[in-house]
Amino acid sequence: MSTESIAWSTPQVAAQRPVVERLHDWVTTVDHKRLGILYILYALVFLVIGGVEATVLRIQLIRPHNDFVSPQVFNRMFTMHGTTMIFFAVMPILFGFANYLIPLMIGARDMAFPRLNAFSFWLTAFGGLLLYFSFVGGDGLYGAGNAPDVGWFAYAPLTSKTFSVGHSTDFWTLSLLVSGFGSIGTAINIITTVLCMRCPGMTLGRMPLLAWLNLTMAGLVVLAISPLTAAQLMLLVDRYLGGHFFDTQAGGSAVMWMHFFWVFGHPEVYVLVIPAFAFASEIIPVFSRKAIFGYPVMVAATICIAFIGMSVWAHHMFTVGMSAAGNTFFVLSTMAIAVPTGIKIFNWLATIWGGQIDFKTPMLFCVAFLFQFLIAGLTGIMLGAAPFNWQLGNSYFVIAHFHYVIVGAILFTLFGAFYYWFPKMSGRMYNEALGKLHFWLFVIGFHLTFDFMHIPGILGMPRRIYTYEPGRGWDTWNLIITIGVFFQAAGLLVFIGNLLWSYRRGKVAGSDPWDAWTLEWSTTSPPPTYNFATIPAIKSRRPLWDLKHPEDPDWQYE
Amino acid sequence: MAVELTNQTGESATDTIEMPASTPWPIVLAFGIALLFAGLVTSETVSLLGAVVSVVGAVGWFRDVLPHEAHETVRVTRQVPAIMTTRHEVARIEIAPELRRAWLPVEIYPISAGIKGGLAGSVAMAVIAMLYGLLSQKSIWYPINLLAAGFFPAVASDTTAEIAAFHLRAFLIAVPIHLITSLLVGLLYGAMLPMLPRRPILLGGFIAPVVWSGLIYSILGIVNPVLNRRIDWLWFVASQVGFGIVAGLVVSRQGRIRTRQQMPLAFRAGLEVSGMLDEHRGEDERR
Repeated sequence: MSTESIAWSTPQVAAQRPVVERLHDWVTTVDHKRLGILYILYALVFLVIGGVEATVLRIQLIRPHNDFVSPQVFNRMFTMHGTTMIFFAVMPILFGFANYLIPLMIGARDMAFPRLNAFSFWLTAFGGLLLYFSFVGGDGLYGAGNAPDVGWFAYAPLTSKTFSVGHSTDFWTLSLLVSGFGSIGTAINIITTVLCMRCPGMTLGRMPLLAWLNLTMAGLVVLAISPLTAAQLMLLVDRYLGGHFFDTQAGGSAVMWMHFFWVFGHPEVYVLVIPAFAFASEIIPVFSRKAIFGYPVMVAATICIAFIGMSVWAHHMFTVGMSAAGNTFFVLSTMAIAVPTGIKIFNWLATIWGGQIDFKTPMLFCVAFLFQFLIAGLTGIMLGAAPFNWQLGNSYFVIAHFHYVIVGAILFTLFGAFYYWFPKMSGRMYNEALGKLHFWLFVIGFHLTFDFMHIPGILGMPRRIYTYEPGRGWDTWNLIITIGVFFQAAGLLVFIGNLLWSYRRGKVAGSDPWDAWTLEWSTTSPPPTYNFATIPAIKSRRPLWDLKHPEDPDWQYE
Repeated sequence: MAVELTNQTGESATDTIEMPASTPWPIVLAFGIALLFAGLVTSETVSLLGAVVSVVGAVGWFRDVLPHEAHETVRVTRQVPAIMTTRHEVARIEIAPELRRAWLPVEIYPISAGIKGGLAGSVAMAVIAMLYGLLSQKSIWYPINLLAAGFFPAVASDTTAEIAAFHLRAFLIAVPIHLITSLLVGLLYGAMLPMLPRRPILLGGFIAPVVWSGLIYSILGIVNPVLNRRIDWLWFVASQVGFGIVAGLVVSRQGRIRTRQQMPLAFRAGLEVSGMLDEHRGEDERR
């Protein structure tokens, strides 16, 4: 079979072909770039859905004794918001960027297993659809329940048949099982691609940090998703085959579910944040016009974070009541993870220091990330101290900390990544003014929401509370928090509008609009199917620098 | 100037490239598996359908890759972008002009400098603290017992006379705490002083101890309110500043040594990796 050379991404050429034919191309594709874009688009839809669910939650809490939604709907909303954002928005977006960028950055023509890549994406996609089918299916056959309402970590015994009748919890379990298979497939693909598909000259020590960090992330996915999958299967056995794994009345252990979940859950935070580090590590040097500071240490710190990150899970369980030895171990391991994380922050700052900083939109998001991630780390250290955690566990302080990581660090760098690689993916420049408007709306909204969310937490407001009595000192803070959500929603709308408008009307980007140094900028925007007409050979970590500055190449000093 | 990143591997440029062929079977198999699981919460028929679709998908996939992986031929466009920059001049940070690539810091203090500084600072701090004990409680043991109270909170609620008296157990606790902390802070000074851009003694010896004391001042009332009531913050700051200035002066008087900038990481880590560097150089030259 012979096909024409790639031109699918340019809207003018694409529009000339029938819609069905184009759709068929996308559905049957095994091209890593198309699959990356599919991941990203799919996740963006879920990001908007999860955002709407968060807005419903915040409108409900805007004032005391509010009844915007019923308590049942409120429970479903916070469960679906958490599950959607973690499993079907942020993780797939990150997989999408990994899929799109890794082969381009390591000088390969595709991922190691292109068909597995497509299979993994579609499993993830169908997993998400299965979760949302619960809105109609969960209620359907047995007349009880609706969407899942057990919270995103679904503690036992709430998930038992006694307390969760109908199929809502099963939809949650099965959708995560199905998408989990997809995640493991993608992780294996990333690991194999990075280890086996690098272009000549690209030793591990010359690999872009994005590839290194995604390799680490993929290793964590394999280690973290497996216990979650095992736990989901055990839960199914409990619910349908009369098992007692988590049934405390029959010798099972509810705490065992917590261990299983958080053995997945905490590394999952690093699965999400390590690719965010990767984006920052690519964007900050380019917009500071300096090479990354301390490359080997950045790699070592990432691996340290992943390693220590596997041994901190029970800091989510201090309030359960563990032994003194258990508490001490998990306090110390949690504190220890601050060291490699701190090293990374210092290295990003050192990269910026003395550079010729260009505050384009991607850099703005990364600078905000540095500041916000520092705060998130500090509140993480506070919550990592068991006595402090006993006071504030399961309060809005925890929610504020967690969202500082997920939104303040991960989503901010994701936005940075969108703006940075949008010209490569689409061949068009985004609108800089709209990008900056998005940034400022989102920064204001983020800080209104999540800075002030710490305070009701300290004042004792528990998470997942449907409503509250007036006069507890929570009213004003909740009002401000909800106002912030609307700023963020406005920012998100500007972002989506900018992408849509720029894709159609944006200025032609050229192959290398940022004067950058990694291999993806050496091919056309968007890249052809085969990425590179001839496989490149490199001699340093910044191959394009070497070509642009032959009088002063990096390879002489690495 | 424009440079093209092509043909560097020696691979001959061709008009076509073989790429993995598009295939519907991954989506078919994924859909089948999703139906298989969805049947558990809907109907056995759905699972049955899922099983059939999965088998069809798997068989189609196998036929795609066995005995040979299906490929499609993609025509290569001759549209290779030129690699160029608009920034031809390279600015250099004025830290080590003799080095074209500098790994910072260029010079460091040896570890012994930090140890010496820490020990000297510990003496200075102890002298100031005992002076405070003598002047306020007429006892050099008062600050020592207060330091031990960090480990034995009950000590802080003793009477002033009891705290001013000598206690062997408190002494044996306080001295190692003081020495170990001083050594660690001394080592930190040794590592950080080369990185402080200007007036290292002012920054490390005065401003840092004052900030540190402010932090302790703000949280000690929560962590240990009884101990907090017994601390004289003026003397506390004085002892911290005393440590900082003396440790800083001792460290800064030690000779600096240059880091081994051009040595590979494995060599600097003391690993036996003979030939590793040369092999890489050889590879690059061949290319």
